[in-house]
Amino acid sequence: MNVVVLVKQIPDPANPYELVDGRLKRGVAQKVMDPGDEYGVEAALRLVDQFGGEVNVISMGPAAAMEAIRRALSMGAHKGVLVTDDALGGADALATARVLAAAIKRSEFDLVIAGVESTDGSTGVVPQMVAELLGVPQSTFAKEIEAKDSSLTIKRQTAAGYDMVECPLPAVITVTAGVNEPRYPTFKGIMQAKSKPVDTVSLGDLGLGGDDAKPTQSVDAVNPAPERGAGEKFEDDGTGAAKVADLLKQLKVI
Amino acid sequence: MKFILSEEQMLFRHTVREFLEKECTPEIARSGFNRERWAQLAQLGAVGLAAPADEGGLGLGEVDLVLLLEEAGRAALPDPLIETSMVAIPLLREAEANDLLLEAADGDVVMSVGLAGSRYVTYATDADVLLLQLGGAMFALQRDDVKLQLMPSIDMARPVFRVEWLSEAGTKIGEGADLVEAAFDRAVLGAAAQLLGIAQRCVEMAADYAKERHQFGKPIGSFQAIKHKLADALLMVEFARPVVYRAAASIAEVSHHRERDVSMAKVYAGRAAKRATRAALQTLGAIGYTQEHDLHIWMKRSWSLEAAWGTSDFHRDRIADEVMG
Repeated sequence: MNVVVLVKQIPDPANPYELVDGRLKRGVAQKVMDPGDEYGVEAALRLVDQFGGEVNVISMGPAAAMEAIRRALSMGAHKGVLVTDDALGGADALATARVLAAAIKRSEFDLVIAGVESTDGSTGVVPQMVAELLGVPQSTFAKEIEAKDSSLTIKRQTAAGYDMVECPLPAVITVTAGVNEPRYPTFKGIMQAKSKPVDTVSLGDLGLGGDDAKPTQSVDAVNPAPERGAGEKFEDDGTGAAKVADLLKQLKVI
Repeated sequence: MKFILSEEQMLFRHTVREFLEKECTPEIARSGFNRERWAQLAQLGAVGLAAPADEGGLGLGEVDLVLLLEEAGRAALPDPLIETSMVAIPLLREAEANDLLLEAADGDVVMSVGLAGSRYVTYATDADVLLLQLGGAMFALQRDDVKLQLMPSIDMARPVFRVEWLSEAGTKIGEGADLVEAAFDRAVLGAAAQLLGIAQRCVEMAADYAKERHQFGKPIGSFQAIKHKLADALLMVEFARPVVYRAAASIAEVSHHRERDVSMAKVYAGRAAKRATRAALQTLGAIGYTQEHDLHIWMKRSWSLEAAWGTSDFHRDRIADEVMG
């Protein structure tokens, strides 16, 4: 089973972020593979352990995003592709999906795994668009994965519990943080990662042009969430209980 | 000599930091050795780093190890990493005791060491095998071959034992002044590296607190009395670091200044740890004296490591001996 994992390099969410013109400043020192993608890498490694095949890690980003691919390789993935092109700066979800789909199509695959959403962008729509562009089924929010030769059953996390979803392969799935416990890269893995094959490709290499990378959405403004105001204070002059009751009625609590 | 760390060395260090931040939180660091964590450390490759590649290790050396031990100090890891990875494994490697080496590198056999230059044996009840020095030779003993007495210590997460050797027990694994002296110097280097990590962590802990704690309407870190204190402590840490790395290189290169260099490392790192822990305690004020705050974990570890494998006075004497000839 050949599994593609989509990964993204993001500024370390443990550090404060900075916005410039409504876009996240990516030139910061501390960058990491999106912690949400580690679950995808782990899920892929487990499937390949079970069925054989290879884990191919694909990412789109600036040249430094190679570190995210290296991280996945040091966890045990077999090879990687980084799509990097100046024309891709500011790409939106659709442009990203076009690029990733084109990169995935370059080799044979049985399954594409992505996180539910990126920790920085949080659009949560790229994997669905990728599935559409590839013309394969998608099943999302997997918290458990069970694979057979040509089909896949997942427990799909829902607000109320979970759905059991079965789909034929090839397919695109997204995994939640509950799906597994990602392994740490071992020292041996780190040393071996250096010699694993990694391709760096441009838009042109994928047969795409500048128009494919043009964003169709733009961010007009980014505002911080309003701070919580001070609460209302009641002086208890004997009517305090009634006032509280009124307030609760207003809020439709009682 | 190259003092720039390789990308690989930085990744090893990063991996261990990431692992310890999750698996050895201050809460966990209070509770002592844990075999499951040890198995995970071995799985990462941190335990057997110095074992040859065909004996379950990576064939790496002291310069790589010192970075990991610095992280262990930073996390106040209560495991015998100095004893096993820095001392026992290189010793078994040099003595060509391959069976034991493989088991130690895999994390199956936890080791501690008792050397003539050190009064007590650490983690003796957690270890499966003790490597003990008798005269100029090293012996491997099972835990049942010795009588252990837990000694009172300020740092109970790093327990120390008096070891009574029951007669006729043990297997000789090697002998010679080179073997036992190198083992002692490695232990000293390990302690120096951990002290450095402790010092760094305490400066950071104090700086974080100084940014959050307000007095007179401002963060206390804006007052010179606090910021100069922490800047001075950081200076000591930065002065100590290259001395510790140099000592690691001296062991790796079998330099004839090895003794002097490791002694300097212990003195410098010990001084940095003393300055940093005190600065942290003074910055934190009363909260720093409580059991509930985490500072005491690092403070106590710094005291117990300061006393381990030769105090600063002992190491100053060794430096003086080499200078005076």
